Amino acid sequence: MAEQEIQVHEKMQVNPPEGEFTREGPYFTPAVDICENEKELILKVDMPGVNGKNVEIDLRDGVLSIVGKVAEAAPEGQELLTEYRTGNYFRSFRITDVVDQEKITASMTDGVLTLVLPKSHKAVPRKIPIATT
Amino acid sequence: MFRWTVHGGPPWSELNRLRREMDSLLSALTPETWPTGSLWPQTRLFPLLNVRDLGEAYVVTAEIPGMKLEDLELKVEADTLALKGERKSPELGEGVSFHRRERASGTFQRSITLPRRVDAEGVTATYKDGVLIVTLPVEKAAMPKQISVEAG
Repeated sequence: MAEQEIQVHEKMQVNPPEGEFTREGPYFTPAVDICENEKELILKVDMPGVNGKNVEIDLRDGVLSIVGKVAEAAPEGQELLTEYRTGNYFRSFRITDVVDQEKITASMTDGVLTLVLPKSHKAVPRKIPIATT
Repeated sequence: MFRWTVHGGPPWSELNRLRREMDSLLSALTPETWPTGSLWPQTRLFPLLNVRDLGEAYVVTAEIPGMKLEDLELKVEADTLALKGERKSPELGEGVSFHRRERASGTFQRSITLPRRVDAEGVTATYKDGVLIVTLPVEKAAMPKQISVEAG
């Protein structure tokens, strides 16, 4: 599928299931690739405009939630064409596999967050720090 | 290649605002199970572009996360900016199975015609956090001129 043309993926706005966000502004659902091999679960999340410093990843009670905040710059000049809107990102997943929470790694490159969740047998709630590249 | 011309000026920004208002009204009135979409579907071309007019320059932005810069090609001619590139699909390792595949991959090309001619030499482009920002200065000859009136 080398010559396949990219289809436009319009951003879908989301409302979080539990409570509103404290920060105003729209939240969008980022596009995600999830793949799995024998050892780990790998997530790739498209969050253009988000720096690695502004990503929050939380895994507790089997729910992985990802929040990405865009650096809001004051719009200059006059808008001529607006095909996409900018805003923060939110998405959560229920992780059914038993994941070794101590060994979760996250990195962010060019607006793509890569999360690697190694499989294991124990599950303890933990906040996950982000490595910025 | 499909050409898309942008229009500026107050009536257009007002129409854009109206379109957004109508879209949010439509989605507010539609049950969540219904597929929602814009009442005014625009181009279905990747990447979606935002264009702003700073007076002396145009700023075109596009969200293309995870691009390699060598796979992106920009061309400017007179009043037209052409974008071309390929977003490669992730490499599949041994014994990997996909659960979800939402991130688009493939080739894209798109060109956009700006209201005025731009100075191709002065065009700058940056790519940060997956956002491409192209700044195109308006050609001197296309800038409006101030003419001073001398008293006779």
